[in-house]
Amino acid sequence: FSKGSETNQIRTLAQDTERDKRFFSNSSFGTYNALLPTGLAQKIHRLTEEQILIKELVALSTTEQIRKIRALPVSFEEKKHVRTQAMAFKSSGQSHHFSSLRDFSQNMSLLIRRFGYSIKSVSQSLQLWRGIMKEIGGKFGSSVLNYFVLLKWLLLFNIFSFLVNFGFITIPLLVSDLSPNVSPNVSFRGLELLTGAGYFNYTVMYYGSYSNETFRGLVDYDMQLAYFFTISVYMVLCGLVLIFSMASSFKKNYALADSASNSAWQLLCSWDFSITNEKAVNQRKNNLRIQLKESLSEKAHRERQTTSEQLKQYGIYFGSWLLSTGLAVGCGASIFYLCQYENEVRKTINYPKFRQEAETLLVPFVVSLMNMVIPLFFSLFNKFEQYSSQRKQIYALLFRNVLLRISILGVLCYYWMNTVPQKFTCWEPVVGQALYRLVIVDFIFLMLGSLFGEFLSNVIGTKIQPRLGVPEFDVARNVLEIIYAQTLAWIGIYFSPLLPVIQILKFFILFYLKKVSLTHNCQPPRRSGRAAQMKTIFIFLLFIPFFVGALSIVAYTAWSLTPSEHCGPFRGLNNTFSVTGEWIDDVNKLSSTQWVVWIYQNVIKSEIFYFLITLIILVLIYIFWQLIQGRKELIVLLRKQIVNEGNDKSFLLEKLQNLQKS
Amino acid sequence: MGNKQTTFTEEQLEAYQDCTYFTRKEILSLHGRYRELAPHLVPLDYTNNPDIKVPMALIVTMPELKENPFRDRIVETFSEDGQGNMSFNDFVDMFSALCEMAPRELKTIYAFKIYDFNRDNFICKEDLQKTLNKLTKGELTPEEVTLVCDKAIEEADLDADNKLSFSDFENMISKAPDFLSNFHVRI
Repeated sequence: FSKGSETNQIRTLAQDTERDKRFFSNSSFGTYNALLPTGLAQKIHRLTEEQILIKELVALSTTEQIRKIRALPVSFEEKKHVRTQAMAFKSSGQSHHFSSLRDFSQNMSLLIRRFGYSIKSVSQSLQLWRGIMKEIGGKFGSSVLNYFVLLKWLLLFNIFSFLVNFGFITIPLLVSDLSPNVSPNVSFRGLELLTGAGYFNYTVMYYGSYSNETFRGLVDYDMQLAYFFTISVYMVLCGLVLIFSMASSFKKNYALADSASNSAWQLLCSWDFSITNEKAVNQRKNNLRIQLKESLSEKAHRERQTTSEQLKQYGIYFGSWLLSTGLAVGCGASIFYLCQYENEVRKTINYPKFRQEAETLLVPFVVSLMNMVIPLFFSLFNKFEQYSSQRKQIYALLFRNVLLRISILGVLCYYWMNTVPQKFTCWEPVVGQALYRLVIVDFIFLMLGSLFGEFLSNVIGTKIQPRLGVPEFDVARNVLEIIYAQTLAWIGIYFSPLLPVIQILKFFILFYLKKVSLTHNCQPPRRSGRAAQMKTIFIFLLFIPFFVGALSIVAYTAWSLTPSEHCGPFRGLNNTFSVTGEWIDDVNKLSSTQWVVWIYQNVIKSEIFYFLITLIILVLIYIFWQLIQGRKELIVLLRKQIVNEGNDKSFLLEKLQNLQKS
Repeated sequence: MGNKQTTFTEEQLEAYQDCTYFTRKEILSLHGRYRELAPHLVPLDYTNNPDIKVPMALIVTMPELKENPFRDRIVETFSEDGQGNMSFNDFVDMFSALCEMAPRELKTIYAFKIYDFNRDNFICKEDLQKTLNKLTKGELTPEEVTLVCDKAIEEADLDADNKLSFSDFENMISKAPDFLSNFHVRI
């Protein structure tokens, strides 16, 4: 947690450790250095420090050694010198005992290190879009680059999902005799690309085409188990990756942003060194100047608001929150009624098949339209409200947008989980098709949104209404769009294993589209915002509402809903999860794998285990929380101590000067 | 890995990989960039460690540094002679400290050295004023400059000696989560 590191730093501050002074050859070394000529004193000091450092290094393992050497704040020659000394020490110090064993282990570690370096080289040459990202970062800064980094990261998720699904589920089906064949009266029409039904329904695209057989060949390959475990292992891995990256991002970036140190921060920490474009640099300088002037003049009038103004402000907040929540809930409700209406129409009126299929596009169209238009209202409300800080403004806007999307997705999932299984015999592919349509229409609207949002704004801003100026790239809105798109894919993996292919294409095209739109239409952001904190917020958003929601939908489907009787890999079972029960029964028959059965029955199935784990985790959380409170108090005390020591120092210096004068 | 190159010996490349955050390929491409700055001065063959220094005037023409307001200070800080003439080792060291993988402590130490214009191991008011002028193209009035610098020192100075020591600076950086991503030059 960041508090611990802050305490440590305050401690070193209070104690003035030699570690900080060592590499600065500070003049305040005291009388020892004052006696000798300064050059010699520094040299001697440096030599002894070096000996201590080398002794430290020799005691560490090789990787630790290298990490420490790299982090030394000295010139390259000195680092190389320290490295050679440390290596020489290490090899000489072990000449007596087990020399051949040590040689072997040293050679092995050297080989492993070389192997690690070559792997790193190879992975770097495979890195996607490195040049483009450098160009974008150089012109627009880190906050805009965060969007593209997130896009690339999500693309990698989808590539992994595609490889895993294709390799473990689709290929075994294709090479066996049970690969799905298309019935002869269905041909490929262009409409399938949009609706996902028709021809695609009979291919390996959807859940319905997969069989529940066990393929006997070289190995017994159970399709049911393969399908279930592939999907669940992928989701669990995704979850773990998200948790770890969120935790590391929190640790690195979410340090307490002390709003009191605004001026010093702007001066010393806010300049983005990676910007290389001349216009962008000039613009940043202008913005910084404007911000500094603003903060200087803010000090002049920091008036208190009168009670009536405060009441008015709260009234505005209440009104806009009420409106936004009402809009979000209203959209959800209207989607629900639309779905029901569509269902009724399908049952009663008998339209030609082409028209029926085209009508299925109505719901995705309305959903995407709402997702595009309603956030504009939210931005409008945001303009009327005046939040005390810019950060709160962004958070409020993000929260409203997330609420809108979650409510729409929630209503759709409710409809799919409750109504669809009753109405269709083979219901999983229907849900898969619905998700496919959502993904495709969302893609079309993203492209249109780029056209309207950026291109048109640019045209309006430069030619028609120059007062508005060139638009900025709205990072928050775009990030939320790709998080939403990825959620659709995560929900859809269970119902349509090859949906990641569409997602890969979508993100790939989106990257280039956004890059072109950015370079042609947008200007660098005016406010040097806190990009690192926004990145943490985005990962957090990705995980908590969206991924957890998708995971719970899939888990609910696997746990409670009955798989359809006549199609898919789980036909005939009561619920998907009973696959594991059957597998455990099979494993039970072999005596060599009894331990698996034991683990299953006593760990995974028992409630006591989960209860105990939850209890232990809660206790640990409480302990850590108390630790944090204690450290907070310690920080306050240490800070007071620093101030006192500073006062003591200046008092003593004064006294010394007075004595010297007299 | 089978690439035949004659610029460095294997031991040299290993030393570079162990002491900086770059891989073999990046080091070779860095050598190419270094050579581009002064092709007549920098030899292709570095196996015998030639003592060549490229003057500062050429280094600050690199596209990565050209528009940076602190380019002179950066090059001076990382050069061995303190005047800005960099050998290849200094060059690699500079980009290694400014790259993405360098840890926060290392970047803090070098950032402090860069902002310390008069090299007295303290960031005093004059250093802050020079920083501010570089950041705003000198378009603030002198009173505003003094005000901002006074405010900055007041906020960050913990031991009340009217200048920022390294510990004060480090404490301020620890509260700025953006520092790591800002203090980063892509090569």
